[in-house]
Amino acid sequence: MKKLIKKINEDKLLYILILPALLYFIIFHIWPMTGMILAFQDYRIIGDNVWVGLKHFRILFSSPAFFNVLRNTVIISAMKIIFFFPVPIFLSLLINEVSNPKFKKYVQSVIYLPHFLSWVVIAGIWITFLSINGSVNQLINFFNLPSVEFLTNKQQIRWVFVFQEIWRSAGWDSIIYLAAIMKISSAIYEAAKIDGATRLQQMLYITLPQLKSTIITVFILNLGFFMNAGFDQVFNLMNDSVISVVDILDTYVYRIGLVNGQYAYATAASLFKGIIGIILIFTTHFLAKKISGKGLW
Amino acid sequence: MKKVLSLIVIVSLILILVPLGLKAGEPVKIRLVMKDELPSDPIVINYYDLLEKGLAREGIQVEIELIEMPAGNYAEKLNLMLLSGDIPDIIYFQGGDKQIADQGLLEDLTPYIESSKYIKSILGPHNIKRMENYPYLLWIKPLTAKVPVIRKDWFNQMETSADLIENPSIDNYYAFLKELRDQDLDGKGNPTYGVTVAGKMIELDSIFDQAFGNTSTWLKNENGQFIYCRVTNNEKEKLAFYHKLYAEGILDPAYLTKKWDTKEKVFYENQVGVISGTAGKVIDIYDGKMKKANGDEASLMVLPPAIGKAQGYTPVDVSKESRGIAISVLSKHKDIAFRILDFLASPQGQMIDRLGFENEHYQVEDGKIYLTEKSQQWFARFWEPLTFEAARPLATPLLGEAAADSLNRVSYYYTEDINILIPEEYVAKWDAMVNLYKEYSSDIITGKRPLADFDQFVAAWYKAGGEEITKYANKILK
Repeated sequence: MKKLIKKINEDKLLYILILPALLYFIIFHIWPMTGMILAFQDYRIIGDNVWVGLKHFRILFSSPAFFNVLRNTVIISAMKIIFFFPVPIFLSLLINEVSNPKFKKYVQSVIYLPHFLSWVVIAGIWITFLSINGSVNQLINFFNLPSVEFLTNKQQIRWVFVFQEIWRSAGWDSIIYLAAIMKISSAIYEAAKIDGATRLQQMLYITLPQLKSTIITVFILNLGFFMNAGFDQVFNLMNDSVISVVDILDTYVYRIGLVNGQYAYATAASLFKGIIGIILIFTTHFLAKKISGKGLW
Repeated sequence: MKKVLSLIVIVSLILILVPLGLKAGEPVKIRLVMKDELPSDPIVINYYDLLEKGLAREGIQVEIELIEMPAGNYAEKLNLMLLSGDIPDIIYFQGGDKQIADQGLLEDLTPYIESSKYIKSILGPHNIKRMENYPYLLWIKPLTAKVPVIRKDWFNQMETSADLIENPSIDNYYAFLKELRDQDLDGKGNPTYGVTVAGKMIELDSIFDQAFGNTSTWLKNENGQFIYCRVTNNEKEKLAFYHKLYAEGILDPAYLTKKWDTKEKVFYENQVGVISGTAGKVIDIYDGKMKKANGDEASLMVLPPAIGKAQGYTPVDVSKESRGIAISVLSKHKDIAFRILDFLASPQGQMIDRLGFENEHYQVEDGKIYLTEKSQQWFARFWEPLTFEAARPLATPLLGEAAADSLNRVSYYYTEDINILIPEEYVAKWDAMVNLYKEYSSDIITGKRPLADFDQFVAAWYKAGGEEITKYANKILK
């Protein structure tokens, strides 16, 4: 104990520096978790809450609607991970290869821009373009092809989410990889050039392997948010025709919990979602550590 | 003796005032929460200042403290505020009140209304029924059914108009909407479509539901049992009709992705002939915007509901008010809170609430009230009974021709809905069942599923909880 106090005393400046961040996490992330107890209670505004044990979980798991939203969440998240995750990596590699600095800055500015638009605005833009009589379908019709129901067809809508996510976030997410690329020693590239490596070979055999630990870290962190399939995105593009394939856990919790006032039931659904997220983080961490020797910690 | 009397008076005053925590002459603080009413907004400040002065003239000394709500969905933010324990005296609800009432947090307003000076005399028949069923929420407004509107100049040019007015049958409506699709009424090839809605078919249902026999949410079948109207043959026939409108390009093919703003936009841009809007002020706004976009000749007119098995706009749900004002049971000043609401129903209160500010929204000349152009921007925060009794006679009508006609028509076609309040334990199931209907109905309308799949929907609906809810409804409605 004395040793610990001595150690803290030695590094007190560092501890003081970390204090605001620590307080932030305690106040806004850890303390609110105590509210999860509501999943096991019936909420009362006047008087004490009533302890009901696993009642809300029983209702949740006996509801076919819940399993449908769970399936939708997993499918949409999986599609985003599979098809979106590699795009920022690929984009950062491409941007890194641009030799003209002015053009490079221009490209970066353009691809970062959609990140700053809210999902409401993005939904408005995409509806204008992709609705049945929107600009894209007018172009399709111009070539005498039949209109495509991008937003009201169950087969198309999830792909719209994936492409929309790529359009909005790929540029912004590439920053982290670009920063990692900047850290790679130029001596490695120079040695490769002397050995006669082409630009493609340098990219494949130097840049990509050097990015491995960053990719693994980002992948594990992304998996932690696996169950967050994108409330704002889905909510703004949801319509009656596709509700069964796009209704995700977050929209379900919002509707049942906040709109219909079933707070305890919604907390149970939310807690379940959080537990799945934690399991995914730990599983991926241990798998990554076993396969590549690198994990989250 | 004098000393004794003085002592009694002093003790009485202490007994009356100390529990209230008041000093004599000090106004009572009433906390109020209302949608879109920001305490920093000069119009809002002015309004509540006028209200406080008006109440003071009636001997009610109050200071109204307006609660600022964070931006976003009002019902959601309000419920979070209430659940956190911050409960104002007067609360405006726009949904989400049932859960709060179920927890015993809302005052039963029945005794207050019975002993009220003004409110009881301005209640509409629908308000009375709703208060009988659910006495926690008060909302004295005209019936809020949606009514279809069209440009009057277009209507007068059309060949099928006379038939529609004479006999608004489903066939005549079809011919009318078809003509709208086919005619070039603005010389630029418009309108492209006969009718559009903002994502939900409820707006089209307001014209056709009753004509197909859906006269209430729960219908009595030949065995005397109540069944949900969306799983009946009436509904099947109606969906077949909607599909016909969609397939023939009469119904806007992009209706599913339309929001309220894009729906209005295509209407003012003449791409669509008919849209539906809430009777009263909303129709007045549509009328004003349409005239601004296309000139005074483009004023709107209201269309009748289709006639078939029955005739009427959406049946009026009298199970409860869907929005309205409540008083918290925890309020220390419930009586004063209700006296504020009662004052708003008085001629003086109505002058403030319905007309706005003198010399800004209205002017008084020769003892009469003349509305200014700015009056279009004013809306009543509280009560809007059908008959407006102001302290002075009104020289200009409160609503335009179309809006006034919309209210009259809604009253004329008034029919009561037969419905139940979904109990807490069925909320999750009901949500799934409603979604099932939304999906099947939109798929049938847009042709993604054949009409024959309607029977599949009915089976799925009963399996998803319909059996239980139908049993429950029959228990409640017997």
